[in-house]
Amino acid sequence: MLAAVAAAGMIGTLAACGGSAGGGGDDELTVWMLTLEGAQKEAMDTLVSDFEAANEGVTVTIEERSTDAHKDALRQVAGTDAGPDIYWYWEGPGLGGELVEAGLSKDLTAEYEQYGWADRFGEATLSNITRYGGYHGVPFTQQAEAIYYNKELFAQAGITAEPTTYEEFEAAAAKLAAAGTTPITFGGTVNWHVMRLLDSLIETNCGSDTFDQLVTAETSWDTPCVDESFTQLKTWGDEYFNDGFQGVADAEAQQLFYTGDAAMAYEGTWFDSLVVDNGMDPANIGVFKFPTGTERLYGFGEGFYINAASEKPEEAAEFLDFITSTEEQNKVVGAFSPISVNTEVPTATGHPLHELWPPLYDAASGFYLNNDQNLTLDQTTEYWRVMNSVLTGGLAPGDAGAEFQAFIDSNA
Amino acid sequence: MTAVHHPPAPPAPQAPPRRRSDRRFVQALPYLLPAVVLYLGFLVYPMLDAVRLSFFEWTGFRNDEPVFVGLDNYVRTFTNDPVFYRALTNSVIWVVLSLLIPMLMGLLLALALNRRMVGRNLFRSVFYIPAVFASITVAAMWRWIYNPNVGSLNQLLEAVGLASLQQEWLGDPQIALYSVFVASVWQGVGFSLVLFLAGLQQVPAELVDAARVDGANRWQVFKAVTVPALRPTTAVVTILTIINSLKVYDLIVGMTGGGPAQSTQVLALWSYQQSITNHDFGQGGAVATVLLAVSLCLVVPYLVRTLKAEEH
Repeated sequence: MLAAVAAAGMIGTLAACGGSAGGGGDDELTVWMLTLEGAQKEAMDTLVSDFEAANEGVTVTIEERSTDAHKDALRQVAGTDAGPDIYWYWEGPGLGGELVEAGLSKDLTAEYEQYGWADRFGEATLSNITRYGGYHGVPFTQQAEAIYYNKELFAQAGITAEPTTYEEFEAAAAKLAAAGTTPITFGGTVNWHVMRLLDSLIETNCGSDTFDQLVTAETSWDTPCVDESFTQLKTWGDEYFNDGFQGVADAEAQQLFYTGDAAMAYEGTWFDSLVVDNGMDPANIGVFKFPTGTERLYGFGEGFYINAASEKPEEAAEFLDFITSTEEQNKVVGAFSPISVNTEVPTATGHPLHELWPPLYDAASGFYLNNDQNLTLDQTTEYWRVMNSVLTGGLAPGDAGAEFQAFIDSNA
Repeated sequence: MTAVHHPPAPPAPQAPPRRRSDRRFVQALPYLLPAVVLYLGFLVYPMLDAVRLSFFEWTGFRNDEPVFVGLDNYVRTFTNDPVFYRALTNSVIWVVLSLLIPMLMGLLLALALNRRMVGRNLFRSVFYIPAVFASITVAAMWRWIYNPNVGSLNQLLEAVGLASLQQEWLGDPQIALYSVFVASVWQGVGFSLVLFLAGLQQVPAELVDAARVDGANRWQVFKAVTVPALRPTTAVVTILTIINSLKVYDLIVGMTGGGPAQSTQVLALWSYQQSITNHDFGQGGAVATVLLAVSLCLVVPYLVRTLKAEEH
């Protein structure tokens, strides 16, 4: 009998381990976000310590995870009380939208009115916040992705100007390979790294309108422009990627760029800080838009969301108001992105690489999203399988579009 | 005088053995209850719930109601899932290789380290240490060994003049599964070794001595005395190897994540990815149920046959 009581007590204790999202004390906010390092870590520490100083007794606990671990963690706590008060996430429908649909994000319409946030952020920045109805999330960065290149290695290969067309881009890669340099570096184990090239090839070959129709299932992937993109991807994988890219992750691949063993990397604005933190001379680095021939820039927005299950939504909103305020953004602009989401904050100066971005932003008519933010989860998994099957020779590039479309059709 | 033969007194009435054991079982129940409750709550219920979920379409989110879809998830798994058969094949390959290589190596090492020799305990420890490492640690270590740019394996091959044998160990779909399996052998052989060593301690010394007195050579002693005496241990090692092989997950996640192009995908990982990554708990449940069925089909007949052999 005693044993039964003990067992029941144990189960009761385990059950009591649940609770409200965020956990911690009444004056503790928990925030989940990606692992930060270098200048980004310092910037986040500054924002947190300033907030804590301005709000005595309140503590903010940042819990960091790697990219895929962060996605997994949030998907696992969605629909439960185990999540944080605030989470950082990508805003696109395939990622941020999925969690909005799952009920993890609190609709912040009232907070936008209370704090006047709609005036703080630009229209383009807010487009991914309002697309799900109401206001979901507070913008934190608008990231763009482009090709970073090593000027010295380009010069050694006889490349005198940044490529402005896809043909020039591929010709540059061929010259680099002929000069004995790895043209571009990717880490294949994380899938989304190589995906950047495939997405951009599709934008190049299919054009903006067809790209958008493809990712919204309004047109079939079994189309020549998609086949052409996979064919080009195969060429890049065979001839221009780092050896063994399928067996390394993004961080290992980036090392080749830092050490001058690879001439190009397809990265985003966050990479400005990373290249300098990893010892590269910024004067030796250039950035150019992937020459798609369209006017759009490749990129996505990232924001902070308040957990719908949080018991401290007011404190959470105060924190987000504080860290996106003009005063605080002026302190940290450049650490996460050269251009702040706060429209009153001027473009970052003092970092030579940040100055390369405003012309790219200004010349762009909009953004095309990374496809893991466009597609549904199962489609993304299949998109990566098809991509890797082409790269490893398991699938003919000409069959890739049809294979992916067959998956979409059979799971519609 | 006639001797009077009294019939033997009838034996005192005794409870039939069956009833006695029933009574003991009832008495034991309160003591078993905590373990039974935990077992039902943490093992049986999740297992049955996974089977139940396999008949529903559900994202796993609280605001989404599961929808009963009958056998649809199984139909999709068997006819429309581009990864399932690769995962099933890889799981079977993993089981077969695990039964062949680490088990055999464990037995041979146990035989070698069961003899009196200098440094015997040191060698036992050296071979067993990898078994206590967390799989994710082993995965990180072997990923660096296999790294195509700075990995020690390719560098070693180059240093000894075998550069032509350098490979993309985790990047080539033809060999990636076997590369991960090597790490698994490195980690797992110590486990079999310890079990076989324990089994060898149970081999009756007098039987070995008697066989030697009868003129048996080493091979004959091994075949006629050691192997039969090791049968219970072999059964345990075999069953544990099959179960551990079918649920292999962490080493693959840590080394390849199932790639490249799902070439190292296995059923346990695919079930997890369908449920947690793709948020398709019905499909994940269907794969998990198939895995459960495969496990039972492999383990139960072997277990029954072994137990019968033991009884005889």
